[in-house]
Amino acid sequence: MSNFQRDCCELLAERFRSGKLDRRGFLTGLVALGAATMAAPGARAAGQELVVVNWGGDAIDAYSAAFAEAYEAATGNKLKIDGSGPLEGSMKTQFESNSVRWDVCDAEPYSAIRLGREGMMEKIDYSIVDRSKIEPGFDGEFYVPSYFYSNVIAYDAARFGDDAPSTWADFWNVAKYPGKRTLYKWMTGVLEAALLADGVAPAELYPLDVDRALAKIEVLKPHIVSFWSSGAESQQLLRDGEASMGLLWHTRANLTKQDTEGEVDWTFDQGLVSPSGWTVIKGNPAGLKAAMEFIALAQNPDNQVTLLNELGNGPANPAAHALVSEEMKPVDASSKENLERQIALQAEWYADHYGTALDKYLALVSS
Amino acid sequence: MAARLNIHTIAMWLLPALFLAVYLAPLLGIFGWSVSRPEPGAQNYVRMLTDADALNIMLRTARVCILVTLTSVLMAYLLAYHWVFGSPARKLFMELCIFIPFWISVLIRAFGWVVILRNKGILNETLLSIGAIAEPLTLVRTEFSVVLGMVHFLVPFAVFPIASIMRQIDSRVLLASRGMGASPAFTFWNVFLPLTVSGILASVIIVFVFALGFFITPAILGGGKIVMIAEYIYIQMFQTSNWGFGAALSIGVLAVVAAMAGLLFRVIHPERLVK
Repeated sequence: MSNFQRDCCELLAERFRSGKLDRRGFLTGLVALGAATMAAPGARAAGQELVVVNWGGDAIDAYSAAFAEAYEAATGNKLKIDGSGPLEGSMKTQFESNSVRWDVCDAEPYSAIRLGREGMMEKIDYSIVDRSKIEPGFDGEFYVPSYFYSNVIAYDAARFGDDAPSTWADFWNVAKYPGKRTLYKWMTGVLEAALLADGVAPAELYPLDVDRALAKIEVLKPHIVSFWSSGAESQQLLRDGEASMGLLWHTRANLTKQDTEGEVDWTFDQGLVSPSGWTVIKGNPAGLKAAMEFIALAQNPDNQVTLLNELGNGPANPAAHALVSEEMKPVDASSKENLERQIALQAEWYADHYGTALDKYLALVSS
Repeated sequence: MAARLNIHTIAMWLLPALFLAVYLAPLLGIFGWSVSRPEPGAQNYVRMLTDADALNIMLRTARVCILVTLTSVLMAYLLAYHWVFGSPARKLFMELCIFIPFWISVLIRAFGWVVILRNKGILNETLLSIGAIAEPLTLVRTEFSVVLGMVHFLVPFAVFPIASIMRQIDSRVLLASRGMGASPAFTFWNVFLPLTVSGILASVIIVFVFALGFFITPAILGGGKIVMIAEYIYIQMFQTSNWGFGAALSIGVLAVVAAMAGLLFRVIHPERLVK
């Protein structure tokens, strides 16, 4: 399970605190992310209030009132945000214990699919949510993309700038590109990277050959300084030169590039791109309709562009790309030209195999 | 009188019963999961004892916990000795050494070690600048740094039981031993050490049980590569949705902890430690 969404909120808060972002930008960013503050679970009347769960940080608390008001003006509904993070196990717990507190979750698509198959998630109502506002091919039965992010190659441009790495084969090539590497601890994108490095054609990736991927990772293992599990950690490894190359979320890669004034750079080439998904647990307190209306409202291109400007998250609504500034176009993970350079992660494969593959992967990681 | 007796009786029996119920009900639920998910049977326990990956995680956990326990208790013994028998100035110094880390957050302490040990950290930069090394040493994101961070956290916990037992030693016994011609070393090995065994054992068990549940320190100082049992259980519950297996692992850890607690109560009297 990725903590990408939590990471976005942390980024916003960091930028706001360091003065790189004014209050208005901060709030708009939060609106776009659907994030505000921890909501205390308590009694509430159905239809009066909507709880969206995201990965919010505590810096967000103070702004919940302003955000809730803005939302209320738009919909007539009160909005409360819970920042505890919709891990698959957490969503499952709420459903099983018959105490669903979240109306809309910003979760991993494969979690939505898996729990959906077990009858725990609502099917998306495409009479309310607009299919035409979703990047084609990414409309899920149990989730709607909220934004796109990518797992990209970030590298030490000061060392490799003249002949920059642009493929996962380069990433594995420690003779040509010396130095340590860092990979993602929760595996999404890593197996694909290993198989591409091993010569598998992008079109032939799925179903993933897990054993082959693990064998390839094992070869690289002596050169892996760390398997990062938080965005900040991945940034630190590249910034301090502990790793000369890493698989990073493109948002963090871009920040590291800014922080180091280009000494660390990154590329969308062979980036492994994936949406984050809005999903609804069956029996959500505000009712299915209110949840779907929120998801439909979140499809608004303006909010999605704000999110791109503040954090670099790619819009899920294709109409939004036309509104993106020239300056931000190179960072837009889901624009047509950038998508062409990347490979999409297949949520269906993860829904079928994530658990068993992660067990094997972590066994290798910790061996 | 009768009323008082009643209140007394209720307090005597009801509170422990309530405590037990609140504790036992969820525990039985977890046990239930371990033998019923995904289907009824002992397959989760079979997997726990036969799956090579799970066994490796348990072995790693055992190795780290034993290393941490031995190191912490040895250091704690020395610290406790000086704390109990040192001069007033030394006592104060020892208290600072023991209590200041004790009050600092586990997160801050783990990150502190990263700052010191990493490639461009304080230690490597110093060694490089004085020419002691040519290349930065890999000190962090290894099993070594995990053990170091855990020892740092657990030493204070190991000091208290040992110091408590040392305080109860009648110093006249030691004087008698010396007075009868025993050397200081002989006195230590044959008189002092045996008197502190119960404290050592209490420390060993407390530290080991604590270490078993460590999560944050290995995650930060292990570079993601040092997966121990606590994190493994978390992964089964939250990442792979494998609740039955996670529950079986929890019961396994609980059995180990219970066995150690049982040992503690048999060998020493816990009430002696809190004097």
